[in-house]
Amino acid sequence: MPRPNLQLQVVHAPVLRYGLAAVSFAMTLGLALLAQHYGFRNVEVPLFLFAITVTVWYAGSGPAILAVVFSSLAFDYFFTEPRYTFYVTKSEIPYYAVFVLFALLLAWFAAVRHRVEAELLQARDRLEIEVTERTQQASLLNLTHDTIFVRDMSDVITYWNRGAQELYGWTAEEAIGKKSPQLLQTVFPASVDDILAELLRTDRWEGELRKTKADGTPVVVASRWSLRRDEQGRAVAILETNNDITERKRWEQEIQSLNQEIAKRSTELEAINKELEAFAYSVSHDLRAPLRHMAGYTELLQKRASSGLDEKSNHYITMMLESAKRMGNLIDDLLAFSRIGRAETQNTLVNLGQLVREALTEVRHDTEGRDIIWKIGTLPDFYGDRSMLRLVLVNLITNAIKFTRTRPQAEIEIGCAEGNGNELVVSVRDNGVGFDMKYVNKLFGVFQRLHPSDEFEGTGIGLATVQRIINRHGGKVWAEGAVDAGATFYFSAPRPQGQLWR
Amino acid sequence: MEIANSKLGRILMVEDDSKDVELTLTALEEYNLANEVVITRDGEQALDYLYCRGAYQTRSTGNPAVLLLDLKLPKVDGLEVLKQIKSDGELRMIPVVVLTSSKEEKDMVASYKLGVNAYVVKPVDFHEFVNAIKELGVFWAIINEPPPGSVRK
Repeated sequence: MPRPNLQLQVVHAPVLRYGLAAVSFAMTLGLALLAQHYGFRNVEVPLFLFAITVTVWYAGSGPAILAVVFSSLAFDYFFTEPRYTFYVTKSEIPYYAVFVLFALLLAWFAAVRHRVEAELLQARDRLEIEVTERTQQASLLNLTHDTIFVRDMSDVITYWNRGAQELYGWTAEEAIGKKSPQLLQTVFPASVDDILAELLRTDRWEGELRKTKADGTPVVVASRWSLRRDEQGRAVAILETNNDITERKRWEQEIQSLNQEIAKRSTELEAINKELEAFAYSVSHDLRAPLRHMAGYTELLQKRASSGLDEKSNHYITMMLESAKRMGNLIDDLLAFSRIGRAETQNTLVNLGQLVREALTEVRHDTEGRDIIWKIGTLPDFYGDRSMLRLVLVNLITNAIKFTRTRPQAEIEIGCAEGNGNELVVSVRDNGVGFDMKYVNKLFGVFQRLHPSDEFEGTGIGLATVQRIINRHGGKVWAEGAVDAGATFYFSAPRPQGQLWR
Repeated sequence: MEIANSKLGRILMVEDDSKDVELTLTALEEYNLANEVVITRDGEQALDYLYCRGAYQTRSTGNPAVLLLDLKLPKVDGLEVLKQIKSDGELRMIPVVVLTSSKEEKDMVASYKLGVNAYVVKPVDFHEFVNAIKELGVFWAIINEPPPGSVRK
């Protein structure tokens, strides 16, 4: 920097300062005596004044007083009549006094000026240091991606960083000097007075603001304000940091609308479920009644008229009764099936071995007069709805008993094996009539049958029920078989964290 | 029903379906119980009968030995009738048998919560139906000792 460093030139040590006074005095005295010797008159006064000035400037007021005293004495001794004595003639007193006064005045002026100049320079130094720091801070603020700007208390922008330019599209030159709420078309979430009141109370404020970019694009920002106060505590400026949360807001809105959609869908589903329930109830009540009446009156007719009817007519009446009964069974099974879909499952840890024994007791009357070899392996505990799982086993075992009816000796095997990954598989195998694998997909459909009902009775809903229950437990059902070579039915369920199976 | 005005039966039947009424009466005839039956066709009539009001103002007093109650009824439904009977100090002792087409679990649970004495689902098969009605009639009207204040013959 080109300015002279006065701090270094001003002499501090007292010895040096008084030495400087002595040296400058001595040199001046020498010069004055030399001038006198060569016949120059009246040179001594300006020379002494110059020396005093130099001393006061560089060495301060103490040495300057000393210089004034020495100069006065030397002036008296060497340059006023009578010379070489300190005696001052009356006529010389004013002259001498003026010199001393002038010297003192000069010293005083020089001292004051020196002090003022030193203070000024110090102030300039401080200012420059501050400017440097501010510039560094400003360029640091420019480095961040955050949007930062400063405005004074009348909202006029005084600082605008690069992040602000990037977000809003206004350059610092365009923004500084403008009022920020107008420039950015700010929409506040609360009244501006309330916001300002909070800012003045706590020195900060945070909130979401809607603003508009230079190109007109709306933007939502998370805004943080900090109040800057001067040394007297007066609010002077607001530093505002903005983060663009437009995208986040959009996602939030999207999530909200998705949630609403889900809520709407689930209400719809609930309504549909209610409707289904009402339908099932109606089927249960209203469809069964006429069926009962048909069967009832047909039977009454049979009772009254059978003796007078021929064989064919009696056969017709029998068929009517059988059909009514079958329709009753179909309705019952269909209702039971629909109930499985609607019923709440109550999951507990179920011992499958125990459940198989219960199921075998339940189907006991189907096995009367039959020769069946049971092979029942070790079965695990299963986490699920006890009564539903029992229904699964009853259906599978009933099927196995039914479709081995043509065998002189039936073999039914119930076992369990490790499945893929985190699941176990339960199987029910028989040596019955089996089925053709090309119809395997039809097995689990509602009312689907692979045999004529004269041959093997049933409504065709048992395996559909099995599938529905196992699906509700998060598992799968499948079957393997061949015509006249038996069939195997499998069901699996996942083992969540080792809880489902043990 | 006109005959019901003065008649006091051992069995009060609440049934809106005339065919069900006919079939039930046919079943009860075998035990000569048909004459003991008073038929009401909806919940309101049933309550009128029990409280001796409306068309039944003139009937001789006394409670039936059993009430056979359908659930799906015009005006006042079966569950409402059951609720009123079981919350009335006088009537609550009358045995009530729900006799319905419905095998709905929620109806069954609601009936038992209200204090029903038996819950019977009408079988589709006529044999079973007749047997059920006959057994009900014999049990409640003959075998069972009815509460005090009921009709005894």
